Amino acid sequence: MPVAEADLTPKASTTDAPKDGALLAMRGIVRRFGDIVANDRIDLEVREGEIVGLLGENGSGKSTLMKVLFGMLRADAGSITVRGRPLTDHSPAGALAAGIAMIHQHFMLIDAMTVTDNVMLGWPAAGHILRATTVAARIRDVSRRFGLDLDPDARVADLPLGRRQRVEILKAILRDADLLVLDEPTSNLAPTEVSELLAILRRLRADGKGIVFISHKLPEVLEVCDNVVVLRAGKVVGRASVSGTSQSQLAEMMIGRDVAPRPTTAPATLAAGPARLAVANLAGPGLERLSFEIRRGEILGVAGVDGNGQIELVETLAGLRSANGGTIALDGEDITRAGAGARMRSGLAYMPADRGTTALVKTMSVVENLMLRDSMQPPYGRGPWLTPGRAAEKARALMVEFDIRARDPETLVGRLSGGNQQKIVVARELDRAPAVLVAHQAAWGLDPGATRFVLDRMLALREAGAAILYVSSELEEVLAISDRVAVMARGGFAGIVRRDAVDARQLGLWMGGKAA
Amino acid sequence: MSEMAPDIQSGLQLRARAFRLRRGGRGASIVVALILSGLCAAALITLSGHNPLEAFAAIIQGAVGTRHGIGASLDRATPYLISGLGVALCFRAGIINIGAEGQIAVGGAGTAAAALAVAGAPAPLAIVAALCGGALAGALWAGLAAVIHVSRGVHEVLVTLLLNFVALLLVQQLLAGPLGQIGAGFLQSPLMPRPTWLPRLPGFDVHPGIAIAVALAAALSFVMGRSRFGFALRVLGQSRPAAAYAGFSLPRLTCSAMLLAGALAGLAGGIEVLGIHHRLIGGFSLGFGFKAVTVALLGAMQPLAVIPAALFVGLLETGSLAMQRQIGVPSALVTVIEGLTMLFVLAATATRR
Repeated sequence: MPVAEADLTPKASTTDAPKDGALLAMRGIVRRFGDIVANDRIDLEVREGEIVGLLGENGSGKSTLMKVLFGMLRADAGSITVRGRPLTDHSPAGALAAGIAMIHQHFMLIDAMTVTDNVMLGWPAAGHILRATTVAARIRDVSRRFGLDLDPDARVADLPLGRRQRVEILKAILRDADLLVLDEPTSNLAPTEVSELLAILRRLRADGKGIVFISHKLPEVLEVCDNVVVLRAGKVVGRASVSGTSQSQLAEMMIGRDVAPRPTTAPATLAAGPARLAVANLAGPGLERLSFEIRRGEILGVAGVDGNGQIELVETLAGLRSANGGTIALDGEDITRAGAGARMRSGLAYMPADRGTTALVKTMSVVENLMLRDSMQPPYGRGPWLTPGRAAEKARALMVEFDIRARDPETLVGRLSGGNQQKIVVARELDRAPAVLVAHQAAWGLDPGATRFVLDRMLALREAGAAILYVSSELEEVLAISDRVAVMARGGFAGIVRRDAVDARQLGLWMGGKAA
Repeated sequence: MSEMAPDIQSGLQLRARAFRLRRGGRGASIVVALILSGLCAAALITLSGHNPLEAFAAIIQGAVGTRHGIGASLDRATPYLISGLGVALCFRAGIINIGAEGQIAVGGAGTAAAALAVAGAPAPLAIVAALCGGALAGALWAGLAAVIHVSRGVHEVLVTLLLNFVALLLVQQLLAGPLGQIGAGFLQSPLMPRPTWLPRLPGFDVHPGIAIAVALAAALSFVMGRSRFGFALRVLGQSRPAAAYAGFSLPRLTCSAMLLAGALAGLAGGIEVLGIHHRLIGGFSLGFGFKAVTVALLGAMQPLAVIPAALFVGLLETGSLAMQRQIGVPSALVTVIEGLTMLFVLAATATRR
């Protein structure tokens, strides 16, 4: 019983509560999964008008802690009090009733409905007879007060991701939430949207809301949070007030060692000769006649705000979308008409951004995911048959080589952390020793350790002579490993430049859609 | 059990539901589900004014109490099992094929046509040729649905369901014309040539169809687990984008699964014709295709688990006839029991996401 302690001694608990009124106090939260202690006696406190950063690598226990708070998981021990009152109803509904709102990484909105419809959805206060105009007026009012800039009549599908997130924030405010939990809120946002979000969070703080800000991105945490709690391996390893700490101190606490500087190898001196990947006049829905070449041992980084044709580009290259025109050649061989499987066999590896349903099958095992695209050849299969024994042996070897932490090859991939999941994709695509790799958001949502791992593997592949197209909305990543940097805007390359000649202002203009 | 005919809506829900089945720990909950459905059945029998214990005893006695009963039960389970395997295969690949009803009927007609065509051939050859004719006809009928589904993007539930009605009418038309027995006064074909009759195991009065069915289940189980084709189907069933990314051709996989299911259904119809009636009779397979869906779901889409599911339904149906004869409980009640069992088992094995 998570609240046993508070239930038995309610008085003690109220006197324990700080005089200045902690909005939320989680005390001694323990949650085990089998032998693994995901949360080991964690204390977390949030006051009114305070933004607490919750930092930690993937698998450090952040999500578990928040699921316990939001009633999606039961704690094995510990107590939760909200405004000094023990939280007894451990369910999402109970959490909502106590004034806790969770804004998930993936928004829980109905795209085909308007902002007003989404706000009214599942909101008891909207009543049985819906009064859309009254709710819309309230939305306008709240939107003005907190700078959300939302039109109540806009359809969610027409809103950029940053605005959709604000719809979630709006829902939380209208439902009188005192405490907002934001899970990796900036991972899908463009840089301008991030600064707007941080401004909104400051206004919420000024209004007395408490906020838990879960993030990997240290600069943002330092910019907006008041205090930081760092988790590692299920334990609190550090607490600090933001004013008294630095990025490197936090990073060290998070991963338990110094973060070595990002790999910044000198741009490859490009060998003359034919391109490994040559794309000419590639056109299709969302793509505007793209032409580029990548040579042996070169990484072409593609930066840009999401939704400017990146997904169209990578999927057309991988053979999952057909082009209307143009050609794609791999080592001189025209693969424009080849299917996804044929392209892969001619040496094109692809790491999709969508890990959940494209790159991996979460309901299948580690070994089945490692053989997902290679089941036709040894050691995974021979002819029409699979060879499970040898496949498992191979999977064990890859698990060691790529540091995939799973109990055994039969473990379901859905049970692994995001970093370990992505390592499976990396292992599968790189083990084939590809001539060309197309990687999309390859380090998305990964903690610094796992990001570093992925980038290092890319660099090693480059050393081995592959040509790499690295598409990411994280400019920092692109700059860290690319030899040349292209910026994608409105379905085309707004500009392309050698990394050593990069001018930040110019990149910014390109991202805004100003062609070179 | 034509009341069971799933409409399009439930077909769509079925896709959502079918793949949430838990991997392990299913056995215990199935036992609980069977007990619960038994209790419900007992209540219904009591309401109809009979003693449920007597009724159950009559069912069991009728189904397995005599050699003849066992044989009849196995015969009854055979078409359910064979066509249920095809349905299970499609469901595993995320293809909601509910066209077994029509494919079985067409398969029966194909078998009858082939058997009449090879009249005079020696027994083993004639049987093989006739069954191949049935499997081919079933596959062609499924192929028609597959082509419409894959090339025009029409939902597979719609295509397979609607083609059922076409198939049943087509078979009636054939019986009224080229395949019909002149002057029979009933929609039926002439008797099949003697060599095409499936032999009967002396003593048990059972034809070898059940052995074929069990062998097919074992083969299919191996294919699903150990072949690249089975792997591709499983990936397709879990995630279409992942299957495309893996390099599998989705249209080809979908067509293969549907053709295979059609061939199995056609074979089921053919065995029914050669093993039971020795002629094609109008409506000989009414409701079989929906029983196939039932047993596929009861067997959680696992080929080997479809075996007990089909046997269960076969025993229940054979036993219920005995129950009606002996104590006068209407055998239609068994349809209700089957429906209840399926509901309970699905409720016990499906998980909320």
